[in-house]
Amino acid sequence: MESLIELGQFILQNLINALQRGSFYAVISIGYSMVYGVLMLFNFAHGDIFMVATYIGFGIATLFLALFAGFLPGPLIFLATVVITMFLASWVGVFVEVAGYRPLRSAPRASAAITGLMIGIIFETGILILLGAKRLSFPPLMESISYNVGGIYFTNVKVMIIVISLLLMLALHTFIQKTKWGMAMRAMSYDFLAVPLMGVSINIIAPLTFAVGAGLAAVAGILYGQAYPILDPYMGVIIGWKAFVAAILGGRGSIKGAALAGYLIGFIEIFVATIFPSTLRDLIAYSIILLILTFRPRGFFGMEHSTKLRL
Amino acid sequence: MEIARKFKNTFSNVPMLGWLLGVLAAVLIEYYWGYDYISYYLGLPKIPVLFGTLIMLKDPMMIPGVIGYDLIVYVIPILLIAKASNFFTNPVAAILEKTPLWLSAIIHLIFFYGVLHLWAGINDYRVLVVKLTMISIILTISINVINGYQGEFSCSHPGFMAIGAYISSIITLYFFVNDKTFGAAVLSPDLGPWLFPFALIAGGIGASLGSLLVAVPSFRTRGDYLAIISLAFMFIIKSAIENLNVIGGARGMGGQPDYAPLPIIFIWTMLCIWVVHNFVTSIMGKALNAVRDDEAASESMTVKTRKTKMTAFMFGAFWAGIAGGLFAHVLAYINPGMFSINRLAEILAMVYFGGLNSIIGSIVGAVSINVLGEALRPLELFKWIIIPLILILVMIFRPYGLISFKEINAKKLLRAKHKREQGA
Amino acid sequence: MSALLNVNKMTHYFGGLRAVYNYNLNIKPHQITGLIGPNGAGKTTIFNLITGVYTPTEGSITLENKSIKGLETNEIAARGLGRTFQNLALWRHMNVLDHIKMAHYSQLSYGLIGSFFNTSKCREQESRVEENSYRLLELFDIKQHADQIVTNLPYGAQRRVEMARAMATNPKILFLDEPTAGMTPDELGQMIKIIRKVHQDFKVAIFLIEHRMKFVMELCQHIQTLVFGELIAEGPPEEIQNNPEVIEAYLGKEDLT
Repeated sequence: MESLIELGQFILQNLINALQRGSFYAVISIGYSMVYGVLMLFNFAHGDIFMVATYIGFGIATLFLALFAGFLPGPLIFLATVVITMFLASWVGVFVEVAGYRPLRSAPRASAAITGLMIGIIFETGILILLGAKRLSFPPLMESISYNVGGIYFTNVKVMIIVISLLLMLALHTFIQKTKWGMAMRAMSYDFLAVPLMGVSINIIAPLTFAVGAGLAAVAGILYGQAYPILDPYMGVIIGWKAFVAAILGGRGSIKGAALAGYLIGFIEIFVATIFPSTLRDLIAYSIILLILTFRPRGFFGMEHSTKLRL
Repeated sequence: MEIARKFKNTFSNVPMLGWLLGVLAAVLIEYYWGYDYISYYLGLPKIPVLFGTLIMLKDPMMIPGVIGYDLIVYVIPILLIAKASNFFTNPVAAILEKTPLWLSAIIHLIFFYGVLHLWAGINDYRVLVVKLTMISIILTISINVINGYQGEFSCSHPGFMAIGAYISSIITLYFFVNDKTFGAAVLSPDLGPWLFPFALIAGGIGASLGSLLVAVPSFRTRGDYLAIISLAFMFIIKSAIENLNVIGGARGMGGQPDYAPLPIIFIWTMLCIWVVHNFVTSIMGKALNAVRDDEAASESMTVKTRKTKMTAFMFGAFWAGIAGGLFAHVLAYINPGMFSINRLAEILAMVYFGGLNSIIGSIVGAVSINVLGEALRPLELFKWIIIPLILILVMIFRPYGLISFKEINAKKLLRAKHKREQGA
Repeated sequence: MSALLNVNKMTHYFGGLRAVYNYNLNIKPHQITGLIGPNGAGKTTIFNLITGVYTPTEGSITLENKSIKGLETNEIAARGLGRTFQNLALWRHMNVLDHIKMAHYSQLSYGLIGSFFNTSKCREQESRVEENSYRLLELFDIKQHADQIVTNLPYGAQRRVEMARAMATNPKILFLDEPTAGMTPDELGQMIKIIRKVHQDFKVAIFLIEHRMKFVMELCQHIQTLVFGELIAEGPPEEIQNNPEVIEAYLGKEDLT
């Protein structure tokens, strides 16, 4: 009995950790998935857009805390940081689309992938040049309070991360289902060629999609900074690749799938790390992914697209 | 434009042999007078190792000196000798043309190697750059087989390279070296250099067996999914090596004997070019293109598509394994971190820069990215902004890379260039 | 004369959907057989079933009295079933000559090692293939395009490349999936000539799917009519032309061109 309760506590404890970690992957992988839905290609720079957004968030948060801490309430500063970071980051997304992907609309997809990777490297190096190699620390935007409910420890930050991520995804869902722009995006993922004929220009939809994806990444970045405050120019590669894997696992262009797969990867990582030595984490996580894709080559919700590279 | 045309006209009757002779002259000038006279009078601290790019970027005041050096040592002698010598290089080329192509090619290659050896011999840094560049050529050609000829977007190349590097290192360390990990040498170290090719081939075979893990899923899927499967494969290999403490784990593995001097690497590189060229110009090899362009049509035209895909992966991985083995023995140290995302970005950059579906493109890509990487070294971080920018521009203006869908024509390359009969 | 290709009671389901039911086919050497039917009747499915793209749920398929059911498409093709595609399926980065050479794949025996080291066996076989390819190019009047990338060719020439490519596999039966799709009346006449020529010169049997009645009636010695995956009539052209069921199911709805 005793051990059963302990096991329950153990599972619940890790479940919370996994939900938190999965939240980042889910929110970021949606960005990959949305771009795929519209342009039929993965934006390999998305991980680095997330990284840049986190740095922007860091800048805004530091600035606001220095200016207003004391006479403005904490939640207001938090909200202002999120909104302004989202706004700025979405311009980064637009920039990547216009400068990197637009000239390659008719090029083979591999070329676009390479361009994305290269933009990512430019971002990483740019940050290194601007800020140097010193490790910056994201300022806490709210005071962390620990709770202990029935032997399970968690902080208000963790709860906030999980809740905000879920709300964000809900908001995105509404945006895509209800607004004109969201509908155009959905239509684009059904028929790439027909939509421009309906009077919706791909040159508006594509940057918009990049902007929304980058905005999501910005929120993820701020939340990430609350959970893991140390910033690193290569965080986009580390987190981004896994989110990319989640987008694939979820199924090409499926936002629902991407979110679910994001959480799944969070779970795999946390549980593998608690059960096995931490050095085995990547080995086991990627082996599971390899197995899933071998048996479900189209991911969880992938459609039967013809999947040829346009070479 | 007019000048370029005139230039081309003037030198159109210089055969390959003439150019080689020109370069030989330039290298000899550098060898005998480069330091004592030319650098000295131009105010350069020493012989510029990579055509002066390093010195130039460190100290802009040196730019005139460097340009002068390059003109005096390289440009003028090469052009002069190439042009002046064609009264006898053309007849010699014509004689060689009558011999079998392989003989003519080997003679040219030996000549070329001699010149390269002399050039690199000026200092150790050049030797290292040339070695790594040639290994990059093997790598780029081998990934071109998979990503270009076969048209898959495979990201597992660093993994294949790692398998080759580790297997060949284990073999050489176990058999021929007294070291901490594997104890005393089993065989006489004298045998090492002779048996080294077998160690490399074992590494290559290991890599091609490993590639089956990526090849088999490729029967059913391609494009982005294959990208992830291959990426997962790469991470699995890296992670598995990190967890194998027997072979050094994350700390890596060092002390590989120096079995990979310049001539050995040169021979392997040429062998790779030759074998891959034979393969991709044969019908068996062109089946890769057929499967890439239309799988259903290929099946209906009796092409065994599964066998073809498997061949592409195993063949590409084999050469990646060879490259990995050479790499390990050049650096005499490897660790799993060397075979990760950064290496992947570098390999992808080389193959897409140079050009898909083309060996000559791969050579151009590997040499350009390597030389550019070395030349821009003084810029430190800015190098990683300039190289990606160049690559983006190439992708925008030449989506398949600089030289794509083009094969080497050795006969045309080596033949004598007589004056055009019809007045051009 | 015994049958070259024999399909007996072939039935196929896609999931729960019955695509082909109880289909029989008998092709004699040097015979031209046509398969007609309205859109969606399952004509291309029958092609794909016989050529091994799908394996039929029930029934038997034999080529020269040997079962070919369940074999891989490339094996079936190597045994003598050549085909063309409704929407051209050419290799977009390959030149015309290489198309024809590629279709000799199953006739090569030098193996991978041979191709890696360019052995004398490899060279000898490749030059033989090249010779044969040029012969085919000449026959189909596309020799002047040999070095061009196929996508740069006019449509009619691309069709001829496809036909030449199919003939390079050395087929006993040639399957033509709507050989005149997207052709002008002028090109149509050329196509009839080409098919006749192939039929004469190579002594192959031909099995073709077609929409244009005139074309079918002119070429075929034997015609099958397929509606909703089932054969409703079979016989020589005159008979089919006057069959009331066929007229109702097919001709009644379409222009008699």
